[in-house]
Amino acid sequence: MFEPVRDFWLNLGLIFGAIFISIFVLAALHASPPQFKRLLTIFVVFFAGLYFPVEFYIPRHNFLTPFRDSVSNLVQVLAAFTFGLGVVNLVLIHGKQVLRRTANLPFSLAFFAGFLLMTVVGFIQRYSPKLWVGDVGAGQIGFWDGMHKLLFEGMLLPLTSTVFSLLAFFIVSAAYRAFRIRTLEAGLLMTAAVIVMLANVPVGTWLTSWLPAEGWLKWFRLENAAIWLTTQINAPTQRAILFGLWVGALGAALRIWLSLERTFTAGSR
Amino acid sequence: MQHADWSTLYPWLVWILTALIGMGIAMAYAGKRLHIRRLPAIDAIEEAVGRATEMGRPMLFVPGLAGIDVPSFQAVAIAGHIAKLAARYRTRIIMPVTDTVIMTMAEQVLKESYAEGGAPEAFRPEDIRFLSGDQFAFASGVVGLMNRERVAANFFFGNFAAESLILAETGQALGAIQIAGTPSTLQIPFFIAACDFTVIGEEYYAVTAYLTREPILLGSVWGQDICRIAIAALIFTATVLQKILPTLVLKFLGLG
Repeated sequence: MFEPVRDFWLNLGLIFGAIFISIFVLAALHASPPQFKRLLTIFVVFFAGLYFPVEFYIPRHNFLTPFRDSVSNLVQVLAAFTFGLGVVNLVLIHGKQVLRRTANLPFSLAFFAGFLLMTVVGFIQRYSPKLWVGDVGAGQIGFWDGMHKLLFEGMLLPLTSTVFSLLAFFIVSAAYRAFRIRTLEAGLLMTAAVIVMLANVPVGTWLTSWLPAEGWLKWFRLENAAIWLTTQINAPTQRAILFGLWVGALGAALRIWLSLERTFTAGSR
Repeated sequence: MQHADWSTLYPWLVWILTALIGMGIAMAYAGKRLHIRRLPAIDAIEEAVGRATEMGRPMLFVPGLAGIDVPSFQAVAIAGHIAKLAARYRTRIIMPVTDTVIMTMAEQVLKESYAEGGAPEAFRPEDIRFLSGDQFAFASGVVGLMNRERVAANFFFGNFAAESLILAETGQALGAIQIAGTPSTLQIPFFIAACDFTVIGEEYYAVTAYLTREPILLGSVWGQDICRIAIAALIFTATVLQKILPTLVLKFLGLG
């Protein structure tokens, strides 16, 4: 909708102007009476919620369409403001732990070390990759690029994968509890699980490979039974739950849009 | 982004469903008494709060991974109701979040809920914690919190992914009473296996109506049930009649 501004100083002025105006507006909102805040919330939620359906349901390109990207970007602007609050939250919580020298001190120190290292290396690698190290030869990787790679691909990604891999062990312990046959439902669950699991390994399909591949007996072959279970039992059930969920989401969205869900507009109470 | 194609059923269906839910709200507003069936998982919330109070330990509420969307809004609304209960007993709720917008929203909602519950001084802003925007960094942070704080009750409401079982199994190992609800259908079995109570499917969006018994919210739940009956009837009718329906109607229904 808007052309990007090319002039550096004008750009800078606009950025700082927007930040100052936003801070002023936020401070004014913070200081305003609860009743006003409540009315403003209801008003903004209603009109923001009205924009997208009206724009979508009017067929083809309409008078609202040119503003669509700008309105969508407002969410990102809001998120950018709150991101700063997120960092402040982390620093405050861990700062307190460090100052009070609690039992969690090592974790908080690890947070500060990781946070500062990643931020500093990330900024230098992005904006000034030649800082203190000069040029690198063809085919070589620069110091800051290497550091970033080491921290991101060498540390963060393996740590993430490690946590993810714990899932395998948790699945086993959860499955052990879920598959104990104490009720009819648990028995059915166990039977279905065994069929689907066996059908996915070679020995499972081998067990019933002597059954004919055609005729009604083919449905007793484990691979076919598993397909039947997943497509005729599991899929319709999941779709039924999804139908219920999406209608529920529509109702919840309507309640939020009309400010009937008082949790979010309770400022005056 | 495309615009609505009014030659098909879908845009009409959304407005018809919206009108049905609106009708339910209007009926409740006009004073019609509506009934909502028992939800044992939600009845157990008070029991969980009571147990945490007896043990003198905090509770943990995880609003899932998503940012601003309807399930997250619903999760924060549920957290608000639990906070109101917790305020009565002066019990702490720790709420780790993965999205900073949800963090600011949750802070305001919980602060007001504690005030409404009669214990504004029991609210601790530092209990709303932004851990990380990364899925597994967040999961390991929550697991650490559970272990360090020795939580007595866990509430998992919101959009979850693969981390759901990591969180629920850790809580199970700690012996915490656990109540979960999620619109992520793939995670429901994990929660059923690892939690004491699980809210399934559309029950997730009925929690606030069930907890508050506010007529207008009950009206919207009633409207949603009518919508589900209407959709089921439509599917059944279209399936039975699809051989005899004219092509134009089949196209309108998206079957042609």
